[in-house]
Amino acid sequence: MLNKFRRTVFILSTLLFTTLATTIPITSSAQENQTLRIAIKQETGNLDLLQNVSALSTYSLIFEPLIRYGTDGQLQPALATSWITSDDGLTLSFKLRKNVTFSDGSPFDAQTAKWNLERWMGKPEFSWIGISDAMKSIETNGQYDLVINLSKPVPAALYELTIIRPVRFLSPKAVDARGNQTAPIGTGPWVVTENNNSRTLLTRNKNYWGNTPSFANMELKVVPDELARSNGLRSGDLDIIGGDWASPLSPRRARSMQRDPNVAVVAEPGTTSILLTYSPKSPLLQDKSVREAIDLSLERNAIVAIIYEGYATATANLFPKVIPYSGNRNPLPQRDIQAARTKLEQAGWTRSGNSWIKDGKALELELMVSEEALPGSRRLAEMIQGQLSETGIKVRVSSVDNATIHDRRPVFQYDLTFMATYGAPYDPHGTLANLLLSDVDSGPDGKIYMSPELDPVVRAALNAQGAAREEKMQAIYNWLSENMAVSPLVSPKRLWAHNRRVGSFTLPATDYQMLGSDVTLSD
Amino acid sequence: MLTLIARRTLLALAMILAASALTFALIAAAPGNVAALIAERTAGPSASAELVQSIADDLGLNDPLPVRYGRWLSDSVAGDFGGSLRTGKPILEEFAERAPVTGLLLVCGGAIALIMSLTIGMLGAISNGGKIDSLLRALSLAGASTPNFFVAALLVMLFSVTLGWLPAFAGSSAASWIMPCLTIALFPCSVLSRVVRVNLQEIMSRPFATTGFAMGYTRLGVLTREALPNIAVPYLTTFGAQFTLMIIGSIVVETVFAMKGIGAFFIEAIRFRDFISMQATLLSFIMFFVFVNLFVDIICLLIDPRIRRQSNA
Repeated sequence: MLNKFRRTVFILSTLLFTTLATTIPITSSAQENQTLRIAIKQETGNLDLLQNVSALSTYSLIFEPLIRYGTDGQLQPALATSWITSDDGLTLSFKLRKNVTFSDGSPFDAQTAKWNLERWMGKPEFSWIGISDAMKSIETNGQYDLVINLSKPVPAALYELTIIRPVRFLSPKAVDARGNQTAPIGTGPWVVTENNNSRTLLTRNKNYWGNTPSFANMELKVVPDELARSNGLRSGDLDIIGGDWASPLSPRRARSMQRDPNVAVVAEPGTTSILLTYSPKSPLLQDKSVREAIDLSLERNAIVAIIYEGYATATANLFPKVIPYSGNRNPLPQRDIQAARTKLEQAGWTRSGNSWIKDGKALELELMVSEEALPGSRRLAEMIQGQLSETGIKVRVSSVDNATIHDRRPVFQYDLTFMATYGAPYDPHGTLANLLLSDVDSGPDGKIYMSPELDPVVRAALNAQGAAREEKMQAIYNWLSENMAVSPLVSPKRLWAHNRRVGSFTLPATDYQMLGSDVTLSD
Repeated sequence: MLTLIARRTLLALAMILAASALTFALIAAAPGNVAALIAERTAGPSASAELVQSIADDLGLNDPLPVRYGRWLSDSVAGDFGGSLRTGKPILEEFAERAPVTGLLLVCGGAIALIMSLTIGMLGAISNGGKIDSLLRALSLAGASTPNFFVAALLVMLFSVTLGWLPAFAGSSAASWIMPCLTIALFPCSVLSRVVRVNLQEIMSRPFATTGFAMGYTRLGVLTREALPNIAVPYLTTFGAQFTLMIIGSIVVETVFAMKGIGAFFIEAIRFRDFISMQATLLSFIMFFVFVNLFVDIICLLIDPRIRRQSNA
């Protein structure tokens, strides 16, 4: 019986491993040498330009906009070589690039551009984009002239045309009879050759009008776990990780990888800000002195050093300076516990033991955080809890899941919470319109602050054109500072890492994109 | 015999029904507005309240819980688990793509656990209190006490990052499956080797083992001819339980080794609050648990007449 058992086990295990070894294809090393391997945190998806289910950063490899968002918010030509906005702001005229074809060989011209824009402009589901909401008509004038007529000026229109979707251009052949996208065919430097739930393979677009990439193929490998991604980079299974939307790299992981001689960590100024926001409906926070006392109790540089491992800049501004119209730089407030206590005393709060009391109520606040919504926010909350406790302000950290924070934030069911600005290319207009205007439905995102006095200030800035725009924008920032409506904390750096197989590496202009223009492989 | 099997099958179906109701209620009771979360993912950062409401209506989230459960159960029985809120694809299609990955991981892990546990248990029994027995006992204890994610991280650090022998992720070659299979096999292997060792020790004190020695058999001979067949039922029962628990281990292993199996699908569904995928995956896990154990029960009924007699009585 034993012999029979042994024989059976032997035969079964041999069959199993033989099947395993023969059915799984082994990638040839020759092909791998020409392939850049980048980690992505989730599968790419179908890359439909009108749906919001696919990974944002992958679009930028395949589809191109009329105008590209460049470093420090400069607008650069992409499928449009030049553009003019009329004096009244109601007409946008574009000269389109000639000799551009989609990767399926179809030509890109004014008619194709018009067809693409009409797929989303003026549709209710895209009313959150100002240029879509204001679109009156789209005209072509010859083969390469395109004109967009608006019913009202949209000062941020050109910036809106740089975002990832739906503004980029699809081959007219890549839709079915009902107009639904059937394949990701664009004019960009890469073409999708394989797309499944474990990876996306891309090859160089032979028809690309610009500089073609120096390597032939790219593999976007789905690795949801951050530790696995960093191990994959260090073992040589991946070449590049990082980017908020591709495969986020936490400051702690970046710091630990910096000790590895085979890995280079690239940290550049970010385009977002992390804010400590005050609920406009919190009874205790109606008192401006309390908000001021909180702000005076914050030690932002300690947050940068401990929570962000140095990969952030302490800030007192709503937007980092790389964002256009981000206003004058506010001096960083110095932590002053005594001044914070004085503010509270002047406002009628009295010290009772370790806490403050006014009208029989203790100064105790709830700080709502969600680790899913903002990674690292629980540690940040605990640090702020400690900093405020030195002033005597008690903070209860309430850690909730992503769905709960989406439920509670729009109805201001908290005292304090963290929010982040949208970042380039959506800012400043995106954050200002959605997160400050009380009559704009920002859905689950909630509001940074909300006040009937603030609304006209924001609206005036969003509608301002030309030289007046900068001044009106500054008025918003001044109002927020004077009213202590929000406490900006830090601007995190953009973190990427690559191994030595990557020769040169430049970051894309925003983390919504995948690759910079000068990435090369060393072998 | 057939009556016994039919009875066990009916019991299994009742368990599936009860467990499915419980998991459905737990997922429904989770805090937070799922519709708001979906609205943000599907319509961008400024999804309107109207959109949130229409998503809630489309998904029937405003209906009473029993109505929702009944609708979900009838659809599931008809083979329609609905579509994933995260990927937009039918869940059955997702399962069809991912089941081979998880299946292969479980089969390889199960095979390693089976072979290694019998080998380790037998070696311990042969050594019987010796140094090898003590060493194997310590290793089994360590294996059963070490979480999967830690084992996986150690293996990757050693074999991928430091030595560069094996790929850090599974999927591109047969070699890339070695670490995931070893990781998932470690815990069941440790538990099963103790089951083998302890049961063999107990069997070896029985009179028929003493008779075997008296007949001139060596310790190895008595172990293999007399003792091993007698531990089949406890071993198979524990193996069934451990094999089903490996599906839980697959959640961690597939995540760490970037495998696109059902375990990874489940964890992605949790992160996204894709409750439709969560319900379908949990139901499939429950069915896997129940049917593997049912299968083991039937095997035990077939190989051990004592169990048949007890069940009939």
